[in-house]
Amino acid sequence: MERLSIHDPPPAAAQQSQQQPPQQQQQNLGPASMVTQGPPQLPPQMFTTAAQLLDLTDKKLVLVLRDGRKLVGVLRSWDQFANLVLQDTVERLYAGSLYADIPRGIFIVRGENVLLLGEIDLDREDDVPPNIQQAPFEEVYALKKKEDSERQTSDKKRHGNLQKLGFEAEHSGETLLF
Amino acid sequence: MSFFGFDTTLPNKKGFFDNSDPFAEVARARAAGQQDDDDDAIDFEDTYDGLGDQLNEDQDAFNDDTFGDVGEAAPVGKDFDFFGRTAQVADAFGEEQVRYNLQYPAPSEGVAETTTQTNAVQEPKPKRTGYEKYEDPGYIPDLQAKSSVWGVSKKPEEPIYEPPAARRILSLEEVEAQLRQSSARSTLLAQPPVSLPPGIPEPLYPPQQMPLLPEIFSQIPPEILQAQLAKGVPPAQLLQHLPQPMVPEPYSLPPQAPPGIPLHLLQNANFPPQHMVPPPQRHAMPPRPLQQQPPLPPQALQGANNPMPVITNPQQLMQLPEEQRMAYLLEDAKRAKRNHKIFLLSRFNGLMTPQDKNFITRIQLQQLVAAAGNVGDSDPEAVLAEDFYYQVYSQIRGAPRQHPHQPLGHFAQTYLFQTGNRFGGHGGRRNGQNADNHMQRMQQQVQRAVEAAKAKPKNKQLIIEGSLGKISFSNAKAPRTMLNIKRPESSEGGKTAKKAQTDLSLTDRKSILNSIENVYNNLMAMEDMERTMPPPPDESDPEAIQRHMEWRQKVRSLNQKLWQALKVMEPIVPNANTPHPFIAFLSYPKGKKAIPRIFRQIDQEQRVTILTMIVVHLDTLDVVRRSQLAPGESLSLDVREAVELFSQAVMPSLLMYVSEAPFNIIIGLLGLVIAQTHVQTVAKTRIGLGILTMMLSRAEIVKEAGQAEERDWQQWVEKFNVLFDTLEPIFADIFPASINAGDDMYVWQFLAAVGIGASPEQQQRLVIAVKDRVMETVNYSKTLPPDMGSQRLGNVNLFMRAIGLDVELLG
Amino acid sequence: MLFFSFFKTLTNQTVTIELKNDIRIRGTLKSVDQYLNIKLDDVDVLDLDKYPHLSSVKNMFIRGSVVRYVMLPRSEVDVGLLEDATRREAANQAGKAR
Repeated sequence: MERLSIHDPPPAAAQQSQQQPPQQQQQNLGPASMVTQGPPQLPPQMFTTAAQLLDLTDKKLVLVLRDGRKLVGVLRSWDQFANLVLQDTVERLYAGSLYADIPRGIFIVRGENVLLLGEIDLDREDDVPPNIQQAPFEEVYALKKKEDSERQTSDKKRHGNLQKLGFEAEHSGETLLF
Repeated sequence: MSFFGFDTTLPNKKGFFDNSDPFAEVARARAAGQQDDDDDAIDFEDTYDGLGDQLNEDQDAFNDDTFGDVGEAAPVGKDFDFFGRTAQVADAFGEEQVRYNLQYPAPSEGVAETTTQTNAVQEPKPKRTGYEKYEDPGYIPDLQAKSSVWGVSKKPEEPIYEPPAARRILSLEEVEAQLRQSSARSTLLAQPPVSLPPGIPEPLYPPQQMPLLPEIFSQIPPEILQAQLAKGVPPAQLLQHLPQPMVPEPYSLPPQAPPGIPLHLLQNANFPPQHMVPPPQRHAMPPRPLQQQPPLPPQALQGANNPMPVITNPQQLMQLPEEQRMAYLLEDAKRAKRNHKIFLLSRFNGLMTPQDKNFITRIQLQQLVAAAGNVGDSDPEAVLAEDFYYQVYSQIRGAPRQHPHQPLGHFAQTYLFQTGNRFGGHGGRRNGQNADNHMQRMQQQVQRAVEAAKAKPKNKQLIIEGSLGKISFSNAKAPRTMLNIKRPESSEGGKTAKKAQTDLSLTDRKSILNSIENVYNNLMAMEDMERTMPPPPDESDPEAIQRHMEWRQKVRSLNQKLWQALKVMEPIVPNANTPHPFIAFLSYPKGKKAIPRIFRQIDQEQRVTILTMIVVHLDTLDVVRRSQLAPGESLSLDVREAVELFSQAVMPSLLMYVSEAPFNIIIGLLGLVIAQTHVQTVAKTRIGLGILTMMLSRAEIVKEAGQAEERDWQQWVEKFNVLFDTLEPIFADIFPASINAGDDMYVWQFLAAVGIGASPEQQQRLVIAVKDRVMETVNYSKTLPPDMGSQRLGNVNLFMRAIGLDVELLG
Repeated sequence: MLFFSFFKTLTNQTVTIELKNDIRIRGTLKSVDQYLNIKLDDVDVLDLDKYPHLSSVKNMFIRGSVVRYVMLPRSEVDVGLLEDATRREAANQAGKAR
């Protein structure tokens, strides 16, 4: 979009000021006058997926998928559905107090699987939280598998109990992990 | 600086509309542009093509944004951090460049010659879908071209910088090797660490937009835009999306930075210090040919608010205090590390071109248009329908208005001055204006009545003799009781309180809420009608007159619908178990809030009908009914809120009517209160007293203005006497239980209004009834801070002066 | 579009977002789009210990479909106006359905 700054006046203001019939009474000003007199509204393009992803482009990000996977990579491209292309991606596996990195390469992620996308602060990324340490992949993977199956069991139980009370699981039928 | 002008360096706590005046940038740019004109190295005659008039000549204004505020005193030196500076505005560069090329295709083609080696320039075709370029095999190289942000050089005469081989970008290994070799500081100093081009052409187009441009742009049909897009605008985005340099955080020591970093390592931040190597997998960095684009290793920024001094040589560093030096070194190391990371990440920057991004933004805006109607479209109704909250909200909560003398838009008026939703302390910034308005207006009316009455004192004796007896007021702690008169028995014994309202059933509740919604729908329809009012008809234009008549007819029919929805005219069933529908309406906050808006839409007759309805049902009104307290009780929070809401939303509308109402209506209303309601119940509540005060003070004003006919006045006095006799036994009980509750102003207002209208004999009785409270309050006010104390005293005095006394007289 | 319109007015306000997987994130709302995707700046993850992968994240794009709650500053909501906006929305929907 051409208008790239929020300092631009809203298009409505400029256009409608021309349309404003001069004979209209001040007391009965419609929305047209509302726009012309009011404070600057933020431009509409600010409220698009594109605007949100723009600042994240070519940045190092952590992408969390709905199945709980965490991918760290550089966002290279996206579209209006938040379908994403990640480059130099590393899958980071967390389990217990351990984590492991698995180099993965390029990812194309369908938007619906995205949970969140966080820009990594390059100054802080190497400060691994003190309670976490890196471990070999196999070890972390085994631990994670165990954790997952435990969680699955407890989730199942919880959902069962909730269902008895009439609650449907929020994300029924699909996993939504962290 | 970022694409959309989200200023990432600003403090976080920004309000919705704290974005500055959109034209301020322009003004600033213009002002600055005039000064900076000379700096432009272009030979203007060479490049001038007549389009210059449309060009923004003031583009140098943002040099400071781009290169940092170096000022004239500190010219850009050899160590200027082009990369870091550029990264700050890189996004904007790219976008601006594209935009420029779209807008001024001819000059840009001419100037861009020198650097478009990778661009596949296409001929524009008349019709395009926007996807053609994807079919063009030449398009792919175009996409990959990382040729520079400097692609469109404004200074073609300047030699393209050809760095010597030694100055090529070094891989990390190479850097490390070099570092290891040269431990001597001098060696390192001699070693030019990075390849910085000697001069970077200033950006052609500043990151800020000129508001003029979008308008021009929006007039260009999309096909043309597409065509121009396809013409091969240099993508030029290598540096586009580097992370913006951050303002250094308070220096936390990075664990991997040892305290004694050799000085020479920190001379130039472009060298990643050995001990700060990035993760191993990132090492494989092939040296890059520089023609393509020197990925300038950034020298870190000295941000505007960076407390760090600018260090240009080691001596300077040595002179710093130890603490500061350490901080500097650490900060520098951190920067170096970050910059190296950025450098690694930036290899494929710009893979997604600005065109791509624009394309997607455009798609999304198109979707929004389809859903809501374009904001820029000519149909404001469609916008309003889909974006009502935002549109109106930005009106009423927006930045301080630039032209406060101009009337607000229609909706802003409706919502800004509707008291209903902006009280209780958490409203917008215009809050508080309305909060005390009602009480103030009431106060004014009572005061006017008091002043009028004082002009003709009824009983001079009262003042002279001191009807309060010879009480030594100075001995305030224990005033001696001089008068001890037994109160007469309740004169109202015969009348029984009406049956308590039974709780509403769920279906009643639902139907009431439904009818409230119905009222609102009618209200909104009427408010919409207001906006579509045709201009006042021209006598000579029958068509216009016709339109006006039709409009009026519609308004009338809507008014009738509203009136029916309000159910004011439903018959009153005496002693019914359920409240009258309109009273039920008023028992909900939503109903109360609607009153000001309703009063704007109805005529005087309808207003008096509503007032009558309220007066007749005073004691069944929720705010009165639920305010009845057993001794020792205090009002619950929700009752207090309901009372507050009623005072704020309903009372002003009623008062506005009453203060202009003819005398006979006031007489009639008082008669209704006496005849239809349990007056003692009414009088023990804030709302009940408020309505009585309204009527009493209005009567006094009418009388003092000489507008009351003798016959009317007699009628009034009769009614007043009944009221007085009824209330006399409970005058002392109408106060809030505790004296330190503070909020008893409404009671004093009421007593003042009674006092003015009372006969001398009644005034005496009145004084006797409330003198304890008078003394208590006077004494209590002395224990309060001066301003609070005088306020309480002022309340009492309003009453005292109404009966020709003054608290001053009490010593 | 009511919620879109509503959230637009919360730009630059501090909000706390709870996701459907219980993560709670506080930050400055920078932008919202038609899908109610949310962009948050200067984020602060509550219970960060449980979510180490978010420890160095400074701003965030959150997909609207995974949001459970958004906690917002009460003072920034105009209830009366919102009620009317809701009525209008309902009327619009009814109009479209017909």
